[in-house]
Amino acid sequence: MVCSSQIDVHLVQKLLDALNAGEQETATRLLDELTKLRESELYQKVSGLTQNLHETLDQLVDNRLLLQTKHDLPDMTERLESVIGMTEEASSKTLQSSERGLNLIESIENMLSDLKVDEVKIEAVKGLLANLSTELTNIMLAQSFQDLTGQVLNRVMLTTSLLEQSLIQLIAESGHDYDAIPDKELSEDAQKQEEMKGIGPNVTQKSKQDSVDSQSDVDDLLGELGI
Amino acid sequence: MQINRDMNILVVDDFSTMRRIVKNLLKELGFHKFDEADDGATAWPMVQSGKYDFIVSDWNMPEMTGLDLLKHVRADANLQNTPFLLITAEAKRSQILEAAQAGVDGYIVKPFTAATLNGKIHKIFERVAERENG
Repeated sequence: MVCSSQIDVHLVQKLLDALNAGEQETATRLLDELTKLRESELYQKVSGLTQNLHETLDQLVDNRLLLQTKHDLPDMTERLESVIGMTEEASSKTLQSSERGLNLIESIENMLSDLKVDEVKIEAVKGLLANLSTELTNIMLAQSFQDLTGQVLNRVMLTTSLLEQSLIQLIAESGHDYDAIPDKELSEDAQKQEEMKGIGPNVTQKSKQDSVDSQSDVDDLLGELGI
Repeated sequence: MQINRDMNILVVDDFSTMRRIVKNLLKELGFHKFDEADDGATAWPMVQSGKYDFIVSDWNMPEMTGLDLLKHVRADANLQNTPFLLITAEAKRSQILEAAQAGVDGYIVKPFTAATLNGKIHKIFERVAERENG
């Protein structure tokens, strides 16, 4: 930080004189005097900044930062976690099916060797099976994305939660009570408007409220209406 | 009941992966005439041409939602009877009821299976047949 006030030339001159004259005690006193001036100015600046921060955050209470810190950041992390969960599940299903497919091909190949039919045709079928096997292997290998995207998402989540911690600290240091930040409630109309636009998968605990769990829930609900 | 496998189907979803999956599943079920649209807004002029016998749509899309597309279809005298299936991740009870009120013929929540899709299509066209036979 740069302090704006000028250094007192006379004080400095006196300090130099004292040093030249070997008057250590006077020199020390003058030096203290000089530093004290600078320190008090620094103190005023810092205190001004703190005051400023407090006021800014006060204004933000009605604004968004506090709500975002308390609600949106944890919501974001929960959603990212669900992405990892869903991609993991999908890849594991794909892998399982690919593996089963590969085993099936192997069984067919074994059966073919025992069959007494046209050698050329058998070779042709074997060729096709080999191609199929390559395709299944490609499907399997493509699932390795799960590892990489998972790592990227984990990193983003880590950064997000560090950011969240910093903001919570900032809020506390500015004299606000984090626990007193109100819940984020949408009005019924606003909620309805969001829903009609489409809100995507309900993956967080909060958004799961009033959602159906399965296709059969949907069928029951619509069945009551004759659909 | 015999379903016409030659019908023209419009598949609407903003994710190309999803359009591809839906098309492949429909192909497995014996259908073969498809067009695709990546949003309700692109789908609507296509639907207006009157070409489609069946619309399969997502809900949450950037320009025009599947729900709005459904409402457009139901509000048009020439198109209002077109069978409309929503395949969507939207799973709030209020949303499902809203879709029902707008006149949806079937509602599938993602992720879904080939068997679910097959079942819904059969149910939809059974009802269409009943309606047409009075």
